Amino acid sequence: MSMGIGEGEGDLKLRPRQYLTLVGMTVAVLLAGMLVLQVMHHYQRFDTPWLVVLAGVYVCAVLGTLVLGRRVLRLTKAIQQTRDCLLACETEIVIPPSTATVDELTDAIHEAFQASSNALHRLQMEVDDIRLRAQLLEQQKRNAEAIIHSLRDPVFVVDELDGVIMANKAAGRLFAFDCHFEEHKLIDELIGEEASELVTFMRQTRASKVEAARRQIAFSDPERPWVFDCIVSCVSDDTDKVRGTAVVLHDVTREREISQIKNDFVGYVSHELKTPLASITAYAEMLIDDEADDEAMRKEFYSVIQGQATRLNRLIENILNISRIESGLFRINKQPVSLAVLVEEQLQMLRSYAEDRHVQIIGRTPIIFDQVDADRDMMSQVIVNLLSNAIKYNHPGGSVRVSIDVDEARSLVCIKVEDTGVGIPPEDLEQVFDKFYRSSLNENKVEGTGLGLNLVKQIVEKLHGGRVFAQSQVGSGSVFGFELPLARKHDLEKSYSTLQDELAKPSMGKGRG
Amino acid sequence: MVGKRVLIADDEIHIVHVVTIKLRNNGYEVITAENGSEAYDLACEDRPDIIITDYQMPIMTGIDLVEKLRSNEQTKEIPVIMLTARSYAVSPEQREHLGIHNCLSKPFSPRELLGNVEDALFQTGIAPQPSAVSLVD
Repeated sequence: MSMGIGEGEGDLKLRPRQYLTLVGMTVAVLLAGMLVLQVMHHYQRFDTPWLVVLAGVYVCAVLGTLVLGRRVLRLTKAIQQTRDCLLACETEIVIPPSTATVDELTDAIHEAFQASSNALHRLQMEVDDIRLRAQLLEQQKRNAEAIIHSLRDPVFVVDELDGVIMANKAAGRLFAFDCHFEEHKLIDELIGEEASELVTFMRQTRASKVEAARRQIAFSDPERPWVFDCIVSCVSDDTDKVRGTAVVLHDVTREREISQIKNDFVGYVSHELKTPLASITAYAEMLIDDEADDEAMRKEFYSVIQGQATRLNRLIENILNISRIESGLFRINKQPVSLAVLVEEQLQMLRSYAEDRHVQIIGRTPIIFDQVDADRDMMSQVIVNLLSNAIKYNHPGGSVRVSIDVDEARSLVCIKVEDTGVGIPPEDLEQVFDKFYRSSLNENKVEGTGLGLNLVKQIVEKLHGGRVFAQSQVGSGSVFGFELPLARKHDLEKSYSTLQDELAKPSMGKGRG
Repeated sequence: MVGKRVLIADDEIHIVHVVTIKLRNNGYEVITAENGSEAYDLACEDRPDIIITDYQMPIMTGIDLVEKLRSNEQTKEIPVIMLTARSYAVSPEQREHLGIHNCLSKPFSPRELLGNVEDALFQTGIAPQPSAVSLVD
């Protein structure tokens, strides 16, 4: 019977001690039964009701023993299972012996529950922790993606079978595709013919298994020629097998253009420097060779040398000043100067240049207050640049008109230099003050460095808080000029009122002059 | 040599002036132009024996001028000497192709230019052998 319990429980086997206990109990009950039968037999009380009672007691005792044993086993099994579960959580609980009392079993169960509860609590904390870590990782992934997407440089990653794993927005814009495309779409489907050289370069780099390779590649875009500095890096796995390539493109079109502009600039500058230098050396040689017919011609030669040396110096000053202003190293010495006086001085110097070019200069000097607070040398350079441009870009027989106006209401002085030259097309007029800019109408016709007007703008606007302007009519000429605030008008008024105050109070009538 | 006609084309008035004096002092007749276009018209009209032209000029550059001269039957044989502020502006191939006698880079020596003119005129059979004096000093 007792064996049947064990078999019925499948995996739960009775241990020898439990088995013996149960057998012992059964034998004890049987013996007790037999003893009762013997006693009854002795006293001749062997009638039916007693037998029934005895049999009932006997069966109840056996069933009770079995049920109790079964429950103990079940409880022990439950504790064992709990222990197994808790072992996973590194928590050990004590399994009560099979001989344990009900109290001991209860305590053990209680302990097991307590341990389970603690273990559950710990598990819950771990789960929360893992969930938080997952959220953080997700956030980091999103941040990394956001960074890659926000990069101005196009970036994309291609696997070993040419499938595109990811591409940022800049790449999408450049190659005109939606950057949230289906993963592993083939590179050829996303990138058009215009970048076939890039795709070839990417495949070559992947095949060569070098860590990274770099090449400048021009994309044949009909609207705009693009030049990119392309960096292809191979992504390898643990076994050093190339799994894919990361491609980063950096737009160097503007750098290329600037480099071209600089090269052109060097060309222009060397030409501009060499032109007056050519005159100087040629005339000097003529004087050495005694080629001048008379004293008047000799003087003329000397004067040409002097004039050309001045021109050379002016050019060098322009170049130096631009770089000094741009580097912020320039120190200016502002003082009240009359623009009319500066214009007059520069006109004197340029008169022979104008005569050489058969250009007439018409000037008008104002008789009103036109003083500005300015650096004298800088302002002279502004004026000489405007005047020499007006002469240089004029037709022979043309004229240059210089006017100085004072706007009392706005407290401004305005200088205008009008020429009768070829003019500047409206589309070029906006850029005429840009560095290295040269009007399309004058290109290859009149040499220049493209620095003069940029210097004018920098001196007037950056150093003196004024404003430059240009108007032009193609074929009939241009007007270049600038406005500057009148000099220390406020200060002059203040000193005037102070003087009046001082005159009104004789006791304080000294100190300020 | 005497009476040989030289056309000088340069937009830089001082250069034209100094070359004119140097050549006149050495017996040449000089005609001048301020740009390539004017020089071409003068070349067709006055048939100079030799042309000295600047490389960079308004309206028509020196190279355009020579190309135009070479394409005209009347002017294609005129020897040309070019002055340029950009030493490498004219490649040897281009010089050969356009039949430019020599390129002098600015700053140049009027003495050397005179020597080149004499040399070019001699080589093209227009003038007798130049005296070595003009080249040396």
